[in-house]
Amino acid sequence: MKKIILLLSALLLVASLSACTKKKTEVTLKVWGSQEDQVMLQEMVDAFIAANTDKIYTITLGVVGEPDAKTKYLEDPEAAADVFSFPNDQISGLVDAGALYEVTLNKAAIIAANVAGSIDVSTVGGKLYAYPVTADNGYFLYYDKSVFSADDVKSLDTMLTKAATANKKVFMDVSNGWYIASFFIGAGNTFKTVDGKKVIDFNNATGLKVGEFIKSFTANSAFVTGDDAYLKGNIGTTIAAGVSGTWNASDISTVLGANYAATKLPSYMLGTTSTQMGSFAGYKLMGVNALTKFPEEAMALAEFLTNEANQIKRFETRKLGPSNIKAATSTTVVADVALAALAAQAAFAISQNSVPDSYWGPGEAFGLAMETKDYSKTIQEMLDAWVLQANGS
Amino acid sequence: MVKKALTSIHDLFNKYIMCFIKGDLSTRLSGLIMGFGMFTRGQIIKGLAYLFFQITFILFMIIRGLDYIIGLQTLGTVGQTRIFDEVRGIYVVYPGDNSMLMLLFGVATIFVVISFFLVYLSNLKTCYANQVSINNGIRPRNFRQEIDFYLNEKYHVTILTIPVIGTFMFTILPLIFMILIAFTNFDKNHQPPGNLFTWVGFNNFKDALWNDPLKSTTFFGLLIWTLVWAVLATALNYILGMILALMINKKGIKLKKFWRTIFVITIAVPQFVSLLLMSQLLADQGTLNVILRQLGFVKDFFPFLSNGDVAKFTVIIVNLWVGVPYSMLITSGILMNIPVDLYESAKIDGANARVQFMKITLPYMLFVTGPYLITQFIGNINNFNVIYLLTGGGPLTLNYYQAGKTDLLVTWLYKLTVNEQNYSLASTIGIFIFLLSAFFSLLVYNKTSSAKKEDEFQ
Repeated sequence: MKKIILLLSALLLVASLSACTKKKTEVTLKVWGSQEDQVMLQEMVDAFIAANTDKIYTITLGVVGEPDAKTKYLEDPEAAADVFSFPNDQISGLVDAGALYEVTLNKAAIIAANVAGSIDVSTVGGKLYAYPVTADNGYFLYYDKSVFSADDVKSLDTMLTKAATANKKVFMDVSNGWYIASFFIGAGNTFKTVDGKKVIDFNNATGLKVGEFIKSFTANSAFVTGDDAYLKGNIGTTIAAGVSGTWNASDISTVLGANYAATKLPSYMLGTTSTQMGSFAGYKLMGVNALTKFPEEAMALAEFLTNEANQIKRFETRKLGPSNIKAATSTTVVADVALAALAAQAAFAISQNSVPDSYWGPGEAFGLAMETKDYSKTIQEMLDAWVLQANGS
Repeated sequence: MVKKALTSIHDLFNKYIMCFIKGDLSTRLSGLIMGFGMFTRGQIIKGLAYLFFQITFILFMIIRGLDYIIGLQTLGTVGQTRIFDEVRGIYVVYPGDNSMLMLLFGVATIFVVISFFLVYLSNLKTCYANQVSINNGIRPRNFRQEIDFYLNEKYHVTILTIPVIGTFMFTILPLIFMILIAFTNFDKNHQPPGNLFTWVGFNNFKDALWNDPLKSTTFFGLLIWTLVWAVLATALNYILGMILALMINKKGIKLKKFWRTIFVITIAVPQFVSLLLMSQLLADQGTLNVILRQLGFVKDFFPFLSNGDVAKFTVIIVNLWVGVPYSMLITSGILMNIPVDLYESAKIDGANARVQFMKITLPYMLFVTGPYLITQFIGNINNFNVIYLLTGGGPLTLNYYQAGKTDLLVTWLYKLTVNEQNYSLASTIGIFIFLLSAFFSLLVYNKTSSAKKEDEFQ
């Protein structure tokens, strides 16, 4: 029996040796991207293959949108793409699961080329795990110039009063942990990582005041909630201003035409102090699968797909805001209304690195209770429940 | 049932021991070398097949199988490691143990061992049977005769072999694998390949039932709603469908076919389309609310789907819309089958319409549709489509762990797997759902007249 095993292993050895003696190495890589990015990605990949003729590349594209990247990856890591992009809030989960390759090749150049915030979210425990792709995954305020002046949109309270008299609405999807956090961040509530555990403090005295404000805001007759489709369908008619992100920019600018405007989020009255609303600064990142068979090649591809030229290409074809400093300061990018508003909001934005995994569900539940004016529990009780679920026991 | 199982195991070993006690040398030797008692009695090819199976099994166990079984106890000890390669300038990832694969392969190996054991017993049995038939002066079947035998007398065995193996490989093995996950801590913090997960005994069951207040509140809250939903959805669909069918079936109603068609048309629209449309229609800023607001009935919106209690009501009503046509179709078929003379004699005896319904129609209907009702009830316990497409389990609530007010256990299970990657808790919930379904099916089925008076049906 031993002989058989020996014979088999000898055969295997010969086979693997003969594979090595081939002239050019064959590299097979898989890239995941969203449906809308497929054509653009294919062009980028073709350019990469054309630029690297020293190896024979076979690069296939798969349709997995950024929001699903983590879920799809964890379903079967070995079958997942070698290079895939994902929103920055997924990075800690992916790193915990051992999914991402640490970026060590050209690390300094990548850090120097991208805005500090994007590098910050790509770094976990002092190690760089991803290549920043875009810096536009945040939210700000769209408004109708025929209703609000540039001064009006500085204060949420002014906006609400003015909208009410004009019989218009101010839109915000409060039943969403991502948007509702805006009030808490602005007031100084924090997301922190304490001893490796992510925690929030929304149930303290400040948080309670914020909760009470959200209650009065959602109860205001000029407040309206809904989803993206509702915002896009009604802005300009019933909705005069709405909180949303760059992905709706082209639709909203078409609807509003000459009245299209965007700016940073307004401030609101927290008790007696005027408080600027905060936000999450969101980035899209590209990572290399830790289980890839070709780490160097996959890293080279990821670096290529996220370089300055390709970030500009992303902006030109898909209006995606670049994280690359040179690309972000190019004149065309700076002239974009939505991206300029996002840049103005950036000063009040925080990263999502310390948001607990279980933050979202209860956040949505809290917002929903506010929207439907379900006051069966006090604000303090609800905030306590939210914090308990998010922080875990 | 336990007694039955024990007796059959006892019989199995009895046969096996008998082969050793009463067997001659070659029968006994086939306990060591499979197929020996076939070689010596002219069944060369069959014997070779058995011997080949034995050798393959032993080789497999030495090369892989033993490791798999040992691995099953720990589910892996070495995690993924990364070592920096100076020359390449990158961290080289060395895959560690993959708990999930170790569990899967371990379970598969146990299946292999069991199947080997069964083949081993059949080997002994055959060898002993050969010995007996030679003693009686009958030559055991040669290979050609054996094939003939399995194509004629034993054809059912031949034709069922592949389906049975398939069922074990693709249904029972994954099922056991997934049941075992309930006894591990496989969640987002113990996610292969980067991390290991391990056995935690009954911790997940304890958490769901009493240990973790949030999870147990969620479990019992959703359990009660699941049962309420299943009972209401089944009963209301059935009763309303039957009333509709009775009304259409009534003498004197004109255009019967037209009415029936009108209601059946709703079936022509795929269920998920109706449900998605309904969820759009009933949303807070949906069409219905806009109309209500413009007509001045509501100031802002009516929370059809965003208030827990209202949403529960809405879900049941919408489910009637998609379900009643089916029960109408089924019941009207059966209604037409009830012999008319029963009603005529009832009328002569002076029974009014209500008595006729209670004494003739309903017993008849329940008799025929009893099993259908049970299927419906179990189907409603697991009615993923209606809930998920209509409300998505929402509105979410702070009282529940990652679940909403209208979530059924099965949609909670879905959320736990897809959003939370809490596979172990989800598997635990899955086991509870199975127990629930099995309990109700068995209990109710045994009580139905269809089961009790099976032979009495005319």
